[in-house]
Amino acid sequence: MKVKVDKTVVASVILHVVVLGFVMLSFSTRALEVKPEESVGVDISLESQVAAGMKTGKKEEKKPLVEKVAEVKPIDDAVGKIEEKKQPVVTETAPPPQPKAEEKPVEKKPDPPKVTEKKEEPKPEEKKPEPAVDPIAEAIKKEQKKPTPPKPPVQAAKPPEEKKIKERVFDQSKIAALIDKRDPARQAATGETLNSNASLGLSKGRAGDNSATWGSMFRRQVENCWKKPYGGIEQERPEVAFNIRLKKDGTLEAMPVPDGTPSTPYARAYSESALRAIIQCQPYNLPAQFFDEWKAFVPVFQERPI
Amino acid sequence: MTNQDKLRQKLLLPNRREIMSGMAALGAAATILPRGALAQSKRVPITEGDFAPLPIAIPNFVAGTPADGEVSAGVTGVITNNLRRSGLFAPIDQAAFIDKTINVDQAPNFQNWKTINAQALVTGRMMRMQDGRLRAEFRLWDVNTAQQLAGEQYNTTPESWRRIGHIISDKIYERLTGEKGYFDSRVVFVDETGAKERRVKRLALMDQDGANVRYLTRGSDLVLTPRFSPNSQEITYMEFGQGDPRVYLFNIETGQREIVGNFPGMSFAPRFSPDGQRVIMSLQQGGNANLFVMDLRSKTTTRLTDTPAIDTSPSYAPDGARLCFESDRGGKPQIYVMPANGGTAQRISFGEGSYSTPVWSPRGDYIAFTKQGGGQFAIGIMKTDGSGERILTSGYHNEGPTFAPNGRVVMFFREPGGNSGPSLYTVDVSGRNEQRVPTPGFASDPAWSPLLS
Repeated sequence: MKVKVDKTVVASVILHVVVLGFVMLSFSTRALEVKPEESVGVDISLESQVAAGMKTGKKEEKKPLVEKVAEVKPIDDAVGKIEEKKQPVVTETAPPPQPKAEEKPVEKKPDPPKVTEKKEEPKPEEKKPEPAVDPIAEAIKKEQKKPTPPKPPVQAAKPPEEKKIKERVFDQSKIAALIDKRDPARQAATGETLNSNASLGLSKGRAGDNSATWGSMFRRQVENCWKKPYGGIEQERPEVAFNIRLKKDGTLEAMPVPDGTPSTPYARAYSESALRAIIQCQPYNLPAQFFDEWKAFVPVFQERPI
Repeated sequence: MTNQDKLRQKLLLPNRREIMSGMAALGAAATILPRGALAQSKRVPITEGDFAPLPIAIPNFVAGTPADGEVSAGVTGVITNNLRRSGLFAPIDQAAFIDKTINVDQAPNFQNWKTINAQALVTGRMMRMQDGRLRAEFRLWDVNTAQQLAGEQYNTTPESWRRIGHIISDKIYERLTGEKGYFDSRVVFVDETGAKERRVKRLALMDQDGANVRYLTRGSDLVLTPRFSPNSQEITYMEFGQGDPRVYLFNIETGQREIVGNFPGMSFAPRFSPDGQRVIMSLQQGGNANLFVMDLRSKTTTRLTDTPAIDTSPSYAPDGARLCFESDRGGKPQIYVMPANGGTAQRISFGEGSYSTPVWSPRGDYIAFTKQGGGQFAIGIMKTDGSGERILTSGYHNEGPTFAPNGRVVMFFREPGGNSGPSLYTVDVSGRNEQRVPTPGFASDPAWSPLLS
């Protein structure tokens, strides 16, 4: 019995690993694919794509707009199925995506009650809001004036919250509520369609970036050690970046790796002087709470632009 | 078994479903991971380095045989002195060394050099070989990275051990600064001795560090403005003989001298073209002076300027396409640039006062000059379009700038006034690191040679 039980455990573990790996791969491949252009292209020219896709596959020919989104997703079975069920219905009724954006924000009005239920939000959103989020982003991008319908719902949704919160005199919770709202929105956007929101999500995702703090601390320390050669600076204005990894005690985990190879003798001397400085100045005194950020980063040695 | 299979199926399917239902969470994780990756590649700009000299340890070169001890210490001394005088290196006092004995054939114990804060280390050996020649070898180490940066070996005659020291200095300088060196070079200058009223002026030649002074003329005639040929073997200068001053060529190796052309009036301010085939100079014509260039082989002379003014002190750009000179055609002496074959000259100096003795850097980026104004003589540089003027030194009397072969250092002469005489100084083009050049007596009108090797 124990052996059999082990097998099930092993099987489950293997499947876990396989599925997890598969999921990770699928996510990573998605991250590499830049699809915003695809969606735009589909919108603009159907015939050309049909003509171009003769060789590759007829699957795309059926309903290019929707199916492409669906094709990317087959990896995500559960989510994909949910979307397929909903989107065809919507697309058939209304080919232009923008009206969707207008309609669904209206649907969002029912959301405020959801907001009150903070924990339950993500699950309902996974089903409905995900398709809804894309149109919003597109709508916001394409037409900032028309989305006025989507905006009012948000504004309408917030004020009631604020009133409720004001009654309780919790200013911080108000902020928290806003944050809670945004996070699932981002996840949904990045999870389904990296196309439109990928860059936005990433840039916003750096909110937790404390490099201004530890970066300036590192800069001060290494600049004290940097004796740069002042030969060809006026001519070449070199720049050299290193990939460095630090241990918690602020010492180097490995020899810094220069990014690229210097092209001139002066650039080489410049790069070596920077490397000497990095090595000589350790251990670095950096705030421990941000270790996750400064355990690996890229100092860039360069001349200040004139 | 079937039950178990069913169990497995039941177990597995829920697992999948769980996983799938956990997609959102994973998606969140996946979105977080790239953020982590972004944080990892966070770029921190570093811009404010120090121009402080690089600490370098130069232990005495190992003597291959006991008889080589003196030359080993001598070469080490030459290298140490060169690097210190450059202002870019700070040789560490040998008394601080932990490793007193060096094994040239092994990698150094870098920790011992790191302890005394050395960032670079030079080890070497001098050895007299059986054929009587001297073999010199050296290695340059990066102490922090424990890497050998350079390593070379030379054979030479024992008498030229100083040159070996200069050549090794150049290699070290070049490797650590990314610039060409300038130590293996010489300076010709006017040696001045005697009381001020009866000053004897002789043409003299020395290594750039002031060693090996040789006198090229006996001092019976007044000599001025010596200039090196690009091939280092010849000098052109102006000499006051019995009559008007004339431009001469002088061969350092043979001691032969020759007058350049035979012109009715004064000829002065000579300088070689970059290819060494021509001499450009000023010829007097009445109250005016114009620029002429003479081909040394065909002896043909070509006029470059024709103005009712004094055009003088011409100096070619290193590519030979343009030249700069001094002219008072606009009233006060100013610096002009024009094509090497004549044509329209453009004034590039517009500051207060007057500008004279322009000289084009061998690197091509700057023109150095003497600037007179407000009772002061200053040495400065400007870019070749006249922008970026920078005064390197200023005082009672500074004059006659000349560039080191790498264009990084300017030598000039300075007179303090009173009864004393002029001395030679060097200063970096950045204005840092002014150093007096040791000479036996008073010295003026220096001209730096190209690199010998």
